[in-house]
Amino acid sequence: MILWILLGLVVVVLLWWVGTYNSLVGLRENVKNGWSQIDVQLKRRHDLIPNLVETAKGYIAHERATLENVIKARQQAIDARSLADKQQAENFLTSTLRSLFAVVENYPNLKADRQMMQLHEEITSTENKIAFARQYYNDEVNRLNIAVQSFPNNFVAQMGGFNKSDFFELKDVSEKAVPQVKF
Amino acid sequence: MPYSFTQIEKDKTRTIGFVFSFLIAIYFLTIWLAVLLAKNYFQAESIDYEYQGFVPLSLSETLMILAIASVVAIGHWLLTQENLIPRLLKLLKAESLNPRDTYHQMFQNIIEEVSVATGGKKMEGVIVPTMVMNAFALADFEGRAVIGITEGLLARLNRRQIEAVVGHEAGHIVSGDCLSTTVTTSLFGLYNGVLNGMTKVLRGEHRVSSRGGGGSFIVFLWLVYALLSVTRLMGLLLKMFISRQREFRADAAAVRLTRDPLSLAEALYAIAYHWRGAGLSSEELEAIFIVNPQFSSLDEQGGLFPDLFSTHSPVEKRLGVLLDMAKADIQTLERSLRNQQKPKETIPEIHGDQGRHPVNEWMIYRDGTWLGPFLLDKIVTLDWLSPTTWVKKKEGNVMPAYEDREIQGIFRTRQGISSVTLDLCPRCRISLSEVYYEGLPVLKCPTCSGVLVPENDVQRIIIREDMGFPERIERVARLIHEGQKAFGQKTKIDLETANLLKCPRCTQYPTRMIHMFYSLIYPIEIDKCIFCGFIWFDRDELEVLQCLVEGARFPEIGREIEK
Repeated sequence: MILWILLGLVVVVLLWWVGTYNSLVGLRENVKNGWSQIDVQLKRRHDLIPNLVETAKGYIAHERATLENVIKARQQAIDARSLADKQQAENFLTSTLRSLFAVVENYPNLKADRQMMQLHEEITSTENKIAFARQYYNDEVNRLNIAVQSFPNNFVAQMGGFNKSDFFELKDVSEKAVPQVKF
Repeated sequence: MPYSFTQIEKDKTRTIGFVFSFLIAIYFLTIWLAVLLAKNYFQAESIDYEYQGFVPLSLSETLMILAIASVVAIGHWLLTQENLIPRLLKLLKAESLNPRDTYHQMFQNIIEEVSVATGGKKMEGVIVPTMVMNAFALADFEGRAVIGITEGLLARLNRRQIEAVVGHEAGHIVSGDCLSTTVTTSLFGLYNGVLNGMTKVLRGEHRVSSRGGGGSFIVFLWLVYALLSVTRLMGLLLKMFISRQREFRADAAAVRLTRDPLSLAEALYAIAYHWRGAGLSSEELEAIFIVNPQFSSLDEQGGLFPDLFSTHSPVEKRLGVLLDMAKADIQTLERSLRNQQKPKETIPEIHGDQGRHPVNEWMIYRDGTWLGPFLLDKIVTLDWLSPTTWVKKKEGNVMPAYEDREIQGIFRTRQGISSVTLDLCPRCRISLSEVYYEGLPVLKCPTCSGVLVPENDVQRIIIREDMGFPERIERVARLIHEGQKAFGQKTKIDLETANLLKCPRCTQYPTRMIHMFYSLIYPIEIDKCIFCGFIWFDRDELEVLQCLVEGARFPEIGREIEK
């Protein structure tokens, strides 16, 4: 009789273990998916910038410093490899873009140019997508971290080799403000 | 997202199971009742009739009815689920987005942004061409998801508010309740047409014949009619199962996605209290909208009956929850909405006479010097122009001619690749140029500043307000507004055929464009082509029309004009 009960208990524990393991796997894959989403949007921003610089050059070729900064920052962001480098380079790129749009404000002809308006919309949308992708990634990391550290799941996590992940954070506090470009 | 995919799949199976059994149950019940009545009726009618009392149906008969009901239910199910989304979209009169319209592009971008925020759920966008404000979401069993908004909503809300609305609809989709709502509302909503048709037939037949033989046929028809009405009633009852709580959950999902409860509150307020509606008349479909298209006092009440039969939660409650999250109150909300409605600052006139939508001019490089500036139709006549000639738009980059889209068109016409000729201005006989006005491409004459607009686009342009209006437009609008009081005297426009314009697009027809008022309320004189539906506005007429309509919609602005 006791044997049956023990056997039943073992089966229950086994089932729980398997279920927890699978859910942890799901969470880890979500985190990876979130990261690749961010990557996709960052790359899209990189691709949009040359066109932006070309369009702006026709009107404000004399504002060389601003334009060159954007080009340099873009190259840096493309070349960055490690996570920390990437974060830093992308933040730098965001700030150079913000300066560029601030300069564009002073040139109503450039502001009203069709090509420019379209690019501005595209870049705004891409910045939003980057923000949303980061939001999704951080949310998933949050869930993974909670799952990995709570009791009793932490046993399964340790045995299965699941670790905490890092948030995609902003290094510079002043850059937490989303670029506001008002027309 | 907290909704894992396994949970959504479980929900789906539950939905299918529940709805399908419900369907079989209804058919079974109605057919069983009908057969019961028929059996007793015909027994009473038969010649060797002996009164035996009310006869119930035997077991074998009941089982047979069950089988028939199942077959009919399967048929009904398959019929309604086939091509579900395209049919619903047609019923809602939704159209796909125009990639050349900047507002539609913005909407498409917003959908993509929210899609990223959900972790990659793919969603499509459609637009309903009506001036009222509303939004809906549809989903089907294959995973296709569609979000639709009205033109009015697109034009009147700012980007953050539209994002909040799209986030709300995405919340419905990702949580799976959009699927159950779509399926249940579509099950019986499509019976309406059949019922209406039958009603007419029955009324006609009834008057025509009452012969003996025709008698039982009519009874049969009435039976079918009763059957269908019962199933339709069941459909309305099914509303009971569309939970009111969906909207709260979707609001919460929207806030989780966009982190902006205030914008959603503003959007809800604007939709519910200002421009409610959906542009359609079917009441079965109302559940899929973010705010019930009809004013329903039932929605605003609590209690058992409203909880059962209402599909939407009270707007006040939803606003309360959101404002709590945003730590704001209703006065702040009203104030920020009113600020949003003020017309935007006027952009200074760049090209003087041409107004705020200048037409393109080019400088062309030849033999060491820059010639120009040329308008497009002058360039057409330059036969020394080759694809490698350097050109420069007035404020643009230097580029070879083949890279410029409009000059490209000239080369194509030369080579006979495209036989499209440039449209000519009906008054000035020079070619029209394409410019963007309120986010839509229209054709404009560089000399007289008249514009040619497709009829459907006029509605959109009227409702959008990219920029404010310069003084002279407001002056004219004021004059017309005052002149409306004396409008009774002026009911006709003097027409002389010789002065009528020819449509620039329909050159093969000898008839001219009709000279008419845009509408009796807005007495702007326009010219309209009866063949292609395009409307020609002379200089400033389109802007005055916009100004007038705006004056009617926002009394504060109207008062400004009247000052």
